[in-house]
Amino acid sequence: MISTAQELHPTPVLEPGRTILELRGLEKRYPGTHALKPVDLAFKSGEIHAIVGENGAGKSTLIKLLTGVMPRTSGEIAWEGQPAALATPHEAMALGINAVHQEVVLCRHLTVAANMFLGEENSRFGILQQRAMVRQAQTIIDDLGFDLPAHVTLGDLTIGQQQLIAAARATVRGTKFLIFDEPTAYLTRKEADQLFTLIRRLKDEGVTIIYISHRMEEVFELADRVSVLRDGTLVGTRNIAETNDAELVKMMINRSIEQVYHKEHFTPGAAIIEARSLSGKGFENVSMTVRAGEIVGLYGLIGAGRSEFVTTLYGRHRKSAGQILWEGKEVQVNSEHDAIKLGMALAPESRRDQGLCLNLPVGFNLNLPIYKRISNNLLISSTQEKTQADRQIADLRIKTPTRGALASSLSGGNQQKIVIGKWLAHGAKLFIFDEPTVGVDVGTKAEIYRLFGALLSKGAGIILISSYLPEVYELADTLHVFRRGKLVATHGFHAASHEDILTQALAEKQEKLGGQI
Amino acid sequence: MSTEAIAVEKPKRNYNVLFGLTLLALLVLLWILLSVATTSFASANNMANLLRQGSMIAIMAVGQTFVIITGGIDLSVGAVVGFATVVVAMMINAGFPIWLAILVTLLVGVAIGMFHGFGIVKMGLPPFIITLATLTSLRGIGLLMTNGNSININSDTFTAFSRNSFIGIPNLFWMVILVGIPAYIFLHHSRWGRYLFSVGSNAEASRLSGVNVQRTIYMAYTLSGLCAAFVGVLLAARIGIGNPTQAEGWELQAIASSVIGGTSLFGAVGSVHGPLLGAFILATINNGANLLNVNSFWQRIITGALIIIIVYFDGLRRRGK
Repeated sequence: MISTAQELHPTPVLEPGRTILELRGLEKRYPGTHALKPVDLAFKSGEIHAIVGENGAGKSTLIKLLTGVMPRTSGEIAWEGQPAALATPHEAMALGINAVHQEVVLCRHLTVAANMFLGEENSRFGILQQRAMVRQAQTIIDDLGFDLPAHVTLGDLTIGQQQLIAAARATVRGTKFLIFDEPTAYLTRKEADQLFTLIRRLKDEGVTIIYISHRMEEVFELADRVSVLRDGTLVGTRNIAETNDAELVKMMINRSIEQVYHKEHFTPGAAIIEARSLSGKGFENVSMTVRAGEIVGLYGLIGAGRSEFVTTLYGRHRKSAGQILWEGKEVQVNSEHDAIKLGMALAPESRRDQGLCLNLPVGFNLNLPIYKRISNNLLISSTQEKTQADRQIADLRIKTPTRGALASSLSGGNQQKIVIGKWLAHGAKLFIFDEPTVGVDVGTKAEIYRLFGALLSKGAGIILISSYLPEVYELADTLHVFRRGKLVATHGFHAASHEDILTQALAEKQEKLGGQI
Repeated sequence: MSTEAIAVEKPKRNYNVLFGLTLLALLVLLWILLSVATTSFASANNMANLLRQGSMIAIMAVGQTFVIITGGIDLSVGAVVGFATVVVAMMINAGFPIWLAILVTLLVGVAIGMFHGFGIVKMGLPPFIITLATLTSLRGIGLLMTNGNSININSDTFTAFSRNSFIGIPNLFWMVILVGIPAYIFLHHSRWGRYLFSVGSNAEASRLSGVNVQRTIYMAYTLSGLCAAFVGVLLAARIGIGNPTQAEGWELQAIASSVIGGTSLFGAVGSVHGPLLGAFILATINNGANLLNVNSFWQRIITGALIIIIVYFDGLRRRGK
């Protein structure tokens, strides 16, 4: 899992790039929190500068200050030597500062071309030159090496493809300073490679890149320098050649990396669920068993059929052939309701869209699956509602002022703990986690993995879906590899190498992999 | 509200209570101002009249609020009221017992609400569209049934109900209490109430958490239809006729009451006391404007301005948190 990026990608010679943006004592206070303690940092033109840190370490705050989304409390920002107010997003863009966010913020109903030129449309006598714009957009996209059509509706593309468009969009606007916030969270490896090519090219053109990621190997693959934030403090900045991920993780969390993938082995018990030659929309002829006390990992690219398979188990989609056996008996799962009644729980992939009621309180979200249990036929027991929520918050160590705080006010990692935690009180037997640690920092990851252990010790079984190979590799007792809707390989714990598993998942173009995962 | 309930969701509830108190203060302030400005406002007769006027919108607003909390809207309620007056009038005049006429009318309201649920859940129509379609169709059906005439209700027992009072308070206002208390318990202390909020906040997350989203939507529209049909019965009793064109524009007053009462049109925010207060604030403004001889056209403008001001300040307050 430890990357060897230094050998594979010789660290680019740092150009004697001039300082383009300098922060002097930059500071941000919210009522009650000191989100960013005075930071001094200088960014050079033509460098890729990674910023790492746990959720809540101050990365988002820093980005918001740099892009003019929020005003700073104190400190100075100098742009090309001149003091800059950076009070509005407009001012930041006028200087050439742009950001590509983790969640795509574009218009899904418009075409790719319309999105690329949004706000800077090409028009003649007030009439949009649509064909010309599609042509220009297509030229840009082809030029960047993305194999995507410019005339289709953005929403028809995958999230990963949309992310590439968002990146392409930022490059055509005279950008001098470009911030990527977790850009690869939803990308396949191939898409990520395309994005990296784009990023390196921008660097060669002298653009400063800020790259924020939780994935250490990406940081080592791309960055020239890396800065670490912890609890709003800049812990340090390193040249990438002079550090390693053990040091960075230590700086980030004050904890060693071995403690992250916390794996407990239990003797598997009876089968909880079994799929026999199950087929449905997006996958066919898949057979597997999940037993009590084991983690079954599903690995594959996005669109390989993993998510479709589990949503069919969960009753979201109808199976077209095959059988589902629950504790040895054949069952029909026609709805999520049926699945939950049997004892399944699903923590979905996208916590914003599927996992949380963001504008409702934390306690409400935690209790949602169990309201039936904590109410009699008519009324909810407010004592139980209170104690259940408080117990979950304490057990899961959710950082929230009270159970009444809105879910939207919590950091991503803590939101994810709610998505997972709400099923603990429910007492399910089979837990399905679909990409449980996307956009979650190392410390929270470790806590989530520890939760897995707690569930297994209580006799539950877990299906873990992940596009992040180290995660399934280190945690799964049985690892199934999906490719194009089929289950192509099955391995025991650590029974195959990363390379073999990747090859099985891709089975085509291997030259781009370059030993990186 | 029990103290425990306050403790459960502290910031939200405190805010709800605070907002409710602000509305109550506004209502009381209006009453004091009007009592000083006019001689007739504070008279027992006028107050009874005011309560009667406000009661019907208030009951509709409660049903409407359930729907809006799920992120929907029910534009049909005014038409349902008009249609219900026709149904109850025809049945009473045809010699059915009053209780049966009322029961059937209420069931008609339930059926209309179920139809809305069906259109949204099964046919995938937007709530705005399906209820807009019912709004116009129901008026048409009512006109067909009555040939465009009003039906005079020939039962004094029925019509007397709306004029009478019980311990000094008009019967119609008692009906608000009759609806309001169960509605409050339902929304804030039962799991179905919780599900209304969760569906309005994130239907997908609710479904994945085992909430029956379809049934929750059916329930919201059915309750709204039921409230509207009930108001139709009350209105028929009050004016003594059944007429499908009655209650024109009441849907907007119900929505306005709900919104003034703090309900968010984006869903997942709302209460029962808010819309009730909102309805009586609107009724007070109309009543006061009449007494002050303000051109009735101005009343509409004032109502519009009030919606903007209250929702604006509410939004400021929420963002400020």
